[in-house]
Amino acid sequence: MLLQLNHIYKWVKQGGKRVFLLNDISLDVEEGEFISIMGPSGSGKSTLLNVIGMLDEFQEGEYIFDGEPVHSLKEKQRSKLYKEYIGFVFQAYHLIDELTVYENIETPLLYKNIKSSERKALVADMLDRFNIVGKKDLFPAQLSGGQQQLVGIARALIAKPKLILADEPTGNLNSKQGEEIMELFKELNAEGVTIIQATHSESNAAYGNRIIHLLDGSKQLQP
Amino acid sequence: MLKNYIKIAFRNLWKDKSFTLLNLLRLSVAFAAALLLGMYAFFDLSYDQFHENKEDLFQVYYSEQTPDGQELATSMPVPFAPALERELPNIKHISRYISDHALNLEEGKELDLRLIFTDPEFFEMFSFETLRGPVDVLKNDSQISITEETAQRLFGKTEVLGERLNLLVNGRNEVFTVGSILKDIPVTSGLRFDAAVNFTHSPNYAENVDRWDSRNHSVFIQLSADTTPEALTQSAVSFNNLHYQGNIEDLKRDGAQPNANGNYLELNLLPFKDIHFADFKGDYLKVSRAYPYMILGIGLLILFIAGINFVNMSIARSAQRLREIGMRKTLGAAKKQLFFQFWSESVWIFLIALLLGIGLSLALESPFRQLFNTPARLTDMSSSTLVITLLISFILITFIAGGYPALVLSKLGTLKALKGKLDLAGKNRVRNALMVVQFSIAIVLISGTLVLGKQLDYMRNKDLGFNKEQVVAIPLNGKRTNRQNVALLRNELAGKPGILSVTASDNNLGLGKDGSTYFSRMGFDYKGRGVSTNMLVVDYDYPETLGLQLKEGRTFSRSYSGDSLSIVINEAMARELQEEDPLNKQLIIDDSIKYTVVGVLKDYNFQSLNKKIEPISLFMKGDWDLYYAFVKVAPQNMAQTFESIEDAWKRIEPNAEFLGSFLDENIDRTFKRERTMTTIISSGSLIAIILSCIGLFAISMLVVTQRTKEIGVRKVVGASVAQITFLLTKDFLKLVGVAFVIAAPVAWWLLSQWLQDYEYRIELHLWIFLAAGLLAVFIALFTISFRTIRAALKNPVESLRTE
Repeated sequence: MLLQLNHIYKWVKQGGKRVFLLNDISLDVEEGEFISIMGPSGSGKSTLLNVIGMLDEFQEGEYIFDGEPVHSLKEKQRSKLYKEYIGFVFQAYHLIDELTVYENIETPLLYKNIKSSERKALVADMLDRFNIVGKKDLFPAQLSGGQQQLVGIARALIAKPKLILADEPTGNLNSKQGEEIMELFKELNAEGVTIIQATHSESNAAYGNRIIHLLDGSKQLQP
Repeated sequence: MLKNYIKIAFRNLWKDKSFTLLNLLRLSVAFAAALLLGMYAFFDLSYDQFHENKEDLFQVYYSEQTPDGQELATSMPVPFAPALERELPNIKHISRYISDHALNLEEGKELDLRLIFTDPEFFEMFSFETLRGPVDVLKNDSQISITEETAQRLFGKTEVLGERLNLLVNGRNEVFTVGSILKDIPVTSGLRFDAAVNFTHSPNYAENVDRWDSRNHSVFIQLSADTTPEALTQSAVSFNNLHYQGNIEDLKRDGAQPNANGNYLELNLLPFKDIHFADFKGDYLKVSRAYPYMILGIGLLILFIAGINFVNMSIARSAQRLREIGMRKTLGAAKKQLFFQFWSESVWIFLIALLLGIGLSLALESPFRQLFNTPARLTDMSSSTLVITLLISFILITFIAGGYPALVLSKLGTLKALKGKLDLAGKNRVRNALMVVQFSIAIVLISGTLVLGKQLDYMRNKDLGFNKEQVVAIPLNGKRTNRQNVALLRNELAGKPGILSVTASDNNLGLGKDGSTYFSRMGFDYKGRGVSTNMLVVDYDYPETLGLQLKEGRTFSRSYSGDSLSIVINEAMARELQEEDPLNKQLIIDDSIKYTVVGVLKDYNFQSLNKKIEPISLFMKGDWDLYYAFVKVAPQNMAQTFESIEDAWKRIEPNAEFLGSFLDENIDRTFKRERTMTTIISSGSLIAIILSCIGLFAISMLVVTQRTKEIGVRKVVGASVAQITFLLTKDFLKLVGVAFVIAAPVAWWLLSQWLQDYEYRIELHLWIFLAAGLLAVFIALFTISFRTIRAALKNPVESLRTE
């Protein structure tokens, strides 16, 4: 098992009352799964992804990732864990504007202290695989949305993560570009990468082999 | 990694060109200002510090307990130094010192030399390096030591050992042989001279050689390393009792109280390294390095303001980089790495600014030196300790000013950063505190400018009791005797248009172009009490020419034959004599000569304005020398009349330089320090204000951005443009108010301390500080109004759409 959430609760206080963002979420994810999380705006999709991605805290419950109890880890160990195993893909791509395509893809490797020669090889492979060698010296602003998301995915993959978390990866793209991205995810999944995506769209959700429905922070059994 | 940081840093700096440029401009101006001010201050601090023996070198002065309080005197009688060296232990070297002028009489090279009379040990005590010839050259009475520069001036070469020099010294013609060549006197030396001869050549040496009651020179002393000045003071008690027995008994008789050590007369030592910073106030000695440190302080304040601005602006600007921070965090960047990245960006800016600043200060060096009248050079600052100090302060500045924003940014939460929310609620307090500090500095500097300017103005325009606008003073530096020259000048100018009267005296008023100052004082017994007075030897028409007011009696007149035994005194002298009606009173001075008081002048400021008016007595002795001629001119065509005086002097003494100047110029020259200080403080406050404005502008930009939505909502519900502008401005005004409350007392205290130095000074009024505060408010309002009004005018639909 890759990760396990046991009775996760997350809330904020508003006017003295608890407003639950995640309400008793339990979830087991096996390696190689492709999970889609669906639900309306504010249902807690992003929050759940952030919790899984260790970007966000939760108040109650257990989170075990690859056998490690995340809820009791120190910040430093947690950061080491997600640097090693998790890649993010965002709706708004979140590429660094000041860096070229090449440098954007390279950045995670810098933070993992990988040697220069090895970095070069890894980035070159990735550029090759996504067919964007010709664009490696361009800045994000010079690319189309679909191309930017491609770079975003390349960047997420460069550190060879076991898990990709994608928050509305096609939300800013037109349907054709969106389809291409989803096909790409499917390919990656076939290669063994575990993927969890949050999405609005039924058709995108259908790419996954399991769909989880969220409403007001709770898991729904049936839509 | 490092390469990556550098690349990003430069791309970021390049992307925000206007911001980078603004930052560079501000920082480099601040660096340049700090460097130049630092140069000035360090130069001032380095005065007289080059002497290897400086720790053991002292100037001797006496403190005397008179019935009116303590009096300090630095001039010594001729037999004093030899007796002290003979009779007291632990004196390694001692030398007497008089600074005077001499005229080279060689045909065609009639040059005026600054000549000193001193003892042979002088060159062993002080580090004036001898290039050729023996160090103790002055042991040979007929030899002269000259500096390289002087040799060049006189002979056109420096290999001049054994050459003869024919000098006019105090009216006597003397021939010397060049016995040694000195390296040029360092610019930081307080003792300045072109040539040195043995002390035995000093004026009236022969008649004073055994006299303990005539004092005319300074004495420098080098103690052996294992003793203290206090020990010497102690061991000199019996020396004083022996040689100054008469004086001490007089002091006791007059009812003086002994000082804390039980002495009426005490030998004290002033460390030579403090001389440049020492001020003999008459009754006490003040050693203060406040002036150079204040200038250094202004430089640091400017740097500080620039640093504060940098911090505030970096944080303000970081809103644009939040996404990058968040992204980097999700990609695995540690806090440390982010800190280093942002910090290194600041370091680049600082480094470039420093280089630009150095370039700027080099470019501005010569105007600066002219404006502030200093021989300091940036290249003098290259000594290792200084470079290290500068380096350390640079690193410190980048660390604090660059590190703080980096720390704030690297600590941001990942998700918050990704969403672009800048949570700076807590940081506002830091920012506000920094702004208050910045405004306080500006207010202190503005009030300093106002007060200094007013004091300077007051001193310039104060009625000194004599006519300074219409009188030209001419130093008598001719080849003939001065009395002859005065007579010739009278003849030449007689009947010329614009000339009202001509006279002479032995002392100038203010500081003339000859740059020399001295005073002569004497003490005598009057009705069984010791009294003392300043002495001035004058020629006929002196009070009339100078426009001095006669209170009673008469002035010297050609119609009285016995006026060489008459004296004219001022009101202060009348008080010193304790005579209600001093006219016709007889004073016995110089043992047996009786002088009669024939007139009393109203008090006038014959000394500088940081002194009370002292007693002065005017003598008219035909056989005493005169050193300055005074010519009163009509108020019309003064420039033309001045030229005719110069022409007249040129005809009388074709080879002597004409150094005449109006008395108001002379008085002005004595305010050199005040003028420099006013210029420095006002230019410092100008820079501080400009830097503060740029900073304030950036902050107002940030605040307006932060509150865009609030402004939109308020407008939708009906707030007017004025209300919104006021809302945005209010917070800034509060800060200026707080700054005023902090700065006004500080400024008040500092400035009243400074004014204490002046006997004649302006009153500090609250309005000065209010004016400074108001000025700060107006400048602040003006600066922020650009952004606030624009924000208030904006269509609310636009501001609300941003969400």
